[in-house]
Amino acid sequence: MTTLGIGIQVAAMLVGGAYVLAVADRLIGGSGSNVRSAFSYPVKRLSFLMLQPVTTTERPDLAAWILAPSLLLGLAAVGAVSIPIGGPSPGGDIPAGLVLFGAAMLIVLVAVFIFGWAPNSVLPMIGGYRFAAMVLSIGIPFSLVVLTTAIPAESLSVGTIVESQSSLWYLLVQPLGLPIYLITAAAIAFWGPFDLPEGTDLAGGIVAEASGARLAMWRFARAALMVTLSLMGAAVFLGGYLGPVLPGWLWTVIKTAVLLILLALTGRTMARIRVQRFVWFGWVVLLPLALVDVFVSGWVAL
Amino acid sequence: MIDLLLVIAAAVFGIGVYGALSQQSFVMIMMGLELMLNSAVLVVVTFWWGTTGGNPSGQLLVIVILAVMAVEAAIGFALVTAVYRSRKADITEKLRRLRF
Amino acid sequence: MNPGLLSYFLVSAFGIGAVVSGWLVFRTDSMLRAAYWLMVSFVAVGAMLVVLDAQFLGLILILMMSGEMTIMAIFMIMFMMNPAGLNPMTMVHQHRTSMVAGVGSFLVLAWVGVVAEFPDRPAPAVDPTAALGEELLGRSMLIFESAGVALLAVMIGAIALAAKRGRFGDADAGSVEPEIDVDTGSRT
Repeated sequence: MTTLGIGIQVAAMLVGGAYVLAVADRLIGGSGSNVRSAFSYPVKRLSFLMLQPVTTTERPDLAAWILAPSLLLGLAAVGAVSIPIGGPSPGGDIPAGLVLFGAAMLIVLVAVFIFGWAPNSVLPMIGGYRFAAMVLSIGIPFSLVVLTTAIPAESLSVGTIVESQSSLWYLLVQPLGLPIYLITAAAIAFWGPFDLPEGTDLAGGIVAEASGARLAMWRFARAALMVTLSLMGAAVFLGGYLGPVLPGWLWTVIKTAVLLILLALTGRTMARIRVQRFVWFGWVVLLPLALVDVFVSGWVAL
Repeated sequence: MIDLLLVIAAAVFGIGVYGALSQQSFVMIMMGLELMLNSAVLVVVTFWWGTTGGNPSGQLLVIVILAVMAVEAAIGFALVTAVYRSRKADITEKLRRLRF
Repeated sequence: MNPGLLSYFLVSAFGIGAVVSGWLVFRTDSMLRAAYWLMVSFVAVGAMLVVLDAQFLGLILILMMSGEMTIMAIFMIMFMMNPAGLNPMTMVHQHRTSMVAGVGSFLVLAWVGVVAEFPDRPAPAVDPTAALGEELLGRSMLIFESAGVALLAVMIGAIALAAKRGRFGDADAGSVEPEIDVDTGSRT
């Protein structure tokens, strides 16, 4: 497939996934809204934000403020490029696609930190600091559970990992993998119950000063990030495009949508936890569990 | 190609030397050191790629340099914190004496 | 060896990016920008590594630096008196000497790089990541493990150095800010 084709595919997945996520979030969390209005809600909200004037603060770091949402969106796209959507790509995969994905997801920290820093305002900056504490404590478990799927597949290319699941999904081979992945992925996308950088106790945190087109861009970039994380979860734990009867791309879409709706559900129904307890949880619970995952997978592979 | 890569690495190294020698703030000095290590990574990979016939020891050396970077950052930040605690010093000029 | 024109172009572009962003680290007033310009420099070098067929090393370099530079930014904001760079400032000493040292080391190293003759043995087109893995867990396992032990020692040492309370009480007990005397020439 040509580079342009992959670009169009990724863009379609990100936009479509963001729409699905927004609708699911509205259906689950929007109080008193009927089903029909939920489907038009993302478009209405986008139009509202695009018409809203962009407010500013006193002496912001304007370049960084403009750059951060685009950086977040770019990282979501870069992470998605390494994932095969419709089937094995004839041109061959990116050789170390899994590492590319991991690098892109950890640079999300940079985008969020910049976005919190740029407005020259206290509450967004605290949000950025919170996010740094969160990502530094769950970054290692996140990378470990993703890289563990490379052990049985004996390859860092996502396409090979998907192909190696033709008999059994890694969801069943590595039962610890997907739960840890979903928890850490929700934290990396600062999605509920881990939306501490945007917490209401900070009056919105990193988005407290953002408005208008800038907020719309940021919201879309965050939704695209969620889509990329769900795509990767579907590819390395749920067998990606493998499945009977239906075409490959439809399986990818279905599995990604399932993960997105699951994340929307947990994001709206579970209680937020404090950042101190989250950091404790990351280091004391998730990191040892991720190491157990690695050891067991290595043992089985031997 | 090797010439071009080595000139780029030399330029990054020169900037690193300038930064490490000229900056007053401890953290900025560490940035200069990091830039020098950055150029070291580039040079090692250049030679691994162009002159060793793919000897994997070249890649191993890069892993060692990455470990050195982590060590430098961790010990550097710890020293900066310790010095700030005991002397309230954040720039090199405040550390004129090495003892109380 | 005959690298394609595209490799030349990519290496030149990323090389210019690495050098310019490295220079901007010391030219900006905002500490956050300084830290992230350094990260841009590392990302450019990582991209050059990917062009040179060391995909794994390049991506690992980028992955490592994203976390490290955020920590660096936090420390810069902690320890600088004017971290946001809202006022212009110059915090340099021995500026001319360092400039000469920097340019001098660049000229010497670049001269060596251009003049010296290197053997022409390009890496074969096999999977370099697999070769690295074989090396790390085979012949050079001792070196790899030593790096791991060294990092553990550093973790313990860094915490011991930076801990607020030690065996002899609080680390900051009785500490006072030393006076700055900018005129350094005649000091008895």
